[in-house]
Amino acid sequence: MINRLGALGVTFLVIVTLIFGLLRLAPGGPFDGERALPPEIEANLRAAYHLDEPLPQQYVRWLVNLLQGDLGPSFSQKDFSVNELIAEGLPVSLLVGGLALVIALITGVIAGTLAAQRPGGGVDGIIMSLVNLGLAIPGIIAAPVAVLVFAILLQWFPAGGIGSAAHYVLPSIAAALPYSAAIARLWRGAVVESLQEGHVLTARSKGLSEWRVLWRHVFPIASLPLVSYLGPLAAGLLTGTVVVETVFELPGIGRYFVQAALNRDYTLVMGVAVVYAAMILAFNFIVDITYRQIDPRMRLES
Amino acid sequence: MQQLILGLAFILLTATYAVSGHAADNKPLHLGLAGEPATLDPHRYNLRIEETVLADLFLGLTTFSSEGKLMPGAALKWETSEDGLTWTFHLDPNARWSDGQPLTAHDFVYAFRRLLDPKTAASLAYFMYPLRNAEAIATGKLPPDQLGVRAANNLILELILGLPYPHLPERLLYPTAYPVPKHVIDKVGDAWVKPEHWISNGAYTLRDWKPQQYLQLARNLHFKPAPAAPTVSYHTTANTQNAYNRYRAGDLDSIAGFPTGDLAAIRTERAAELRLAPQLSMMYLVFNTRSAPFNDMRVREALSIVVEPTTLTDKVMKSGDLAAASFVPPMVSNYAHPAFPHAGQLMPHRQRRARALLTAAGFSSATPLKVTLRYAAGTDAKRANLAIAAFWQQIGVRVELHQSELRVHYGDLRQGNFQVAQAGWLGESNPEHYLGLLHGRSGDTNYGAFADKSVDTLIDAARKQKDIPERHRLLAQAEAAAMKSYPVMPLYSLTTRRLVRTDLRGWHDNSRDAHPARFLVR
Repeated sequence: MINRLGALGVTFLVIVTLIFGLLRLAPGGPFDGERALPPEIEANLRAAYHLDEPLPQQYVRWLVNLLQGDLGPSFSQKDFSVNELIAEGLPVSLLVGGLALVIALITGVIAGTLAAQRPGGGVDGIIMSLVNLGLAIPGIIAAPVAVLVFAILLQWFPAGGIGSAAHYVLPSIAAALPYSAAIARLWRGAVVESLQEGHVLTARSKGLSEWRVLWRHVFPIASLPLVSYLGPLAAGLLTGTVVVETVFELPGIGRYFVQAALNRDYTLVMGVAVVYAAMILAFNFIVDITYRQIDPRMRLES
Repeated sequence: MQQLILGLAFILLTATYAVSGHAADNKPLHLGLAGEPATLDPHRYNLRIEETVLADLFLGLTTFSSEGKLMPGAALKWETSEDGLTWTFHLDPNARWSDGQPLTAHDFVYAFRRLLDPKTAASLAYFMYPLRNAEAIATGKLPPDQLGVRAANNLILELILGLPYPHLPERLLYPTAYPVPKHVIDKVGDAWVKPEHWISNGAYTLRDWKPQQYLQLARNLHFKPAPAAPTVSYHTTANTQNAYNRYRAGDLDSIAGFPTGDLAAIRTERAAELRLAPQLSMMYLVFNTRSAPFNDMRVREALSIVVEPTTLTDKVMKSGDLAAASFVPPMVSNYAHPAFPHAGQLMPHRQRRARALLTAAGFSSATPLKVTLRYAAGTDAKRANLAIAAFWQQIGVRVELHQSELRVHYGDLRQGNFQVAQAGWLGESNPEHYLGLLHGRSGDTNYGAFADKSVDTLIDAARKQKDIPERHRLLAQAEAAAMKSYPVMPLYSLTTRRLVRTDLRGWHDNSRDAHPARFLVR
């Protein structure tokens, strides 16, 4: 367990170091813009943000601050620290991402289970067509169409921003849509497969009800691939999706992924990357543990 | 008895209503802001959208009227010395900070010194380089207290210049010349920009700022006359499509832009809400004169004369932008705009001349001129540059288009890493502001490193003049001289494309795109 946590720490360090390096390799700098600055003014700015120091020194400075929980000042939002920006944005991303995750799970599992009852049957055909449609339509199309239909034409929901519960309906559904389809397909396959396993036939022959068979003997096995899929998915959804947050004008941290990178806001990119890396590692860790709980074989092996 | 009390209460109620004035029943404003401000520190700002918000929060010595014209602000009047070097501003004795503290000349002395102090790292500090010693202070060669600014007493401020600068009142419109509350900054440092510490001298104060959502401004109770709207919320929108969606959904009273493709539909469906106004700006192509082929004037001329800007604006982009006829935008007043040498010639004639010029420069159909045209990402830009490439292909030039994101684009321009590239400049109603880009010693912003002795001499001579007419006469000569060498190819001036709800009163289109919220009523 200690080893595992140590490995997580090393992975984390490698990730953030790589991003730090890649970011500085990108052409253009945080002070290039439509209004070009005289060189002496740019020198003043670089000094104020310590960009005049050698790169290794900047890296060490950043890392030491990170260990103290300080992600530094933002270049593109000078009146806020990166900590403040993430503290403002993360709850929004967590809420929308969490709702989307729940929606995707519930709809995906229900649709997958229904489809798996009679593979190749009518219900299966309809559900799998819908699933393929859901997978084929990218969020960048689905989200604006949802705004057009439900916010502008029907005026059922607001077009963007946050404030009331109604603001979260369209974004959560839009974010959930493709994953709901992916989960349905994954779940259907896993259920179909485990329905044919010997112990399921045995359970059936003992006269257990269909629901009991599914719940006690099919779902635990079918959930293994789903659990490993959920790890990265949860990290991705909870840290905000760029498309959904941009289209619905949500003040989450997903938008920072792109904006901050375009603005060469080095500290903000690093801050968001730290959050994302930490989430990914944390969820993979949770997946590992869950796996052991579900599958006794894994417990024996380790 | 009971009736008497009720009656008294009624009288009291109406009295309070009358005292609080007309402002009580006006609605809050919800305005779209095309992006997120990077800062509300007027000395550290850099973006156009920040100017919009800062103009509501602060009042400079001069300010914009509701029509975008210059008018007295914190200074009631001013006069200039005989030599044009000393400007004396008489401050409004009733001016107050939002905490009730009087606004004094010392506040401005502090503010100008803070702006030029290298420690402030103000990206637009050079806006105030007309002040004596300003550049030396910004580069750390002199301490800030050597700046040409002095408080004769609490209400008389003197600005001392290095060279005459008759456009000074206009330069003072920018946030770089706003006062900042020394008494707060001394206490809380950089945190003074946070809503909980916020003190300013404009019509509004900062009540709340939620990044990527909105900035909410509330009336400054010490500002006279009191603005109509009790609060102003600037909602930041990620792009024009989102802004347009939220406007159509009824969330916003005004937006600063919509997708260009919707212009035709808006012209018919929302004609009364559409506000198109030419903006003081110039979009142009710049030739890199450092190296071949564009160190050859014949090549620059050939490529310049075969592009017809009106075709770009009216047929290609259809964005309502204004085709250019010279480098200084047509909205700059009191200035005799010189025309291009090729103005009035027909296109077939121009194309024949261009081919002859290219042949003379050593290019032929066997060895054609090959150029890379660089531009910053954006759908309008792409269409315009495709059309320019088509114009050039007609005279046998091989064109490659190269698009990069904004920051990379301007980074490359500054380093001279291009052949010919698109550039833009939002400016003042002052020809010098544009022609300075072509001065041999203007540094980075002269992207193409154009240098012409006669142009430099004329601009330098103009900069010594204290009267605007003589100054502009010399500048017009400088522009005419520069245009003979084709260092840049002016394309068009931008048009601001706004939607403004018809029940929002007090909105006047103007070339500065200035719409202070204190003049708006809903």
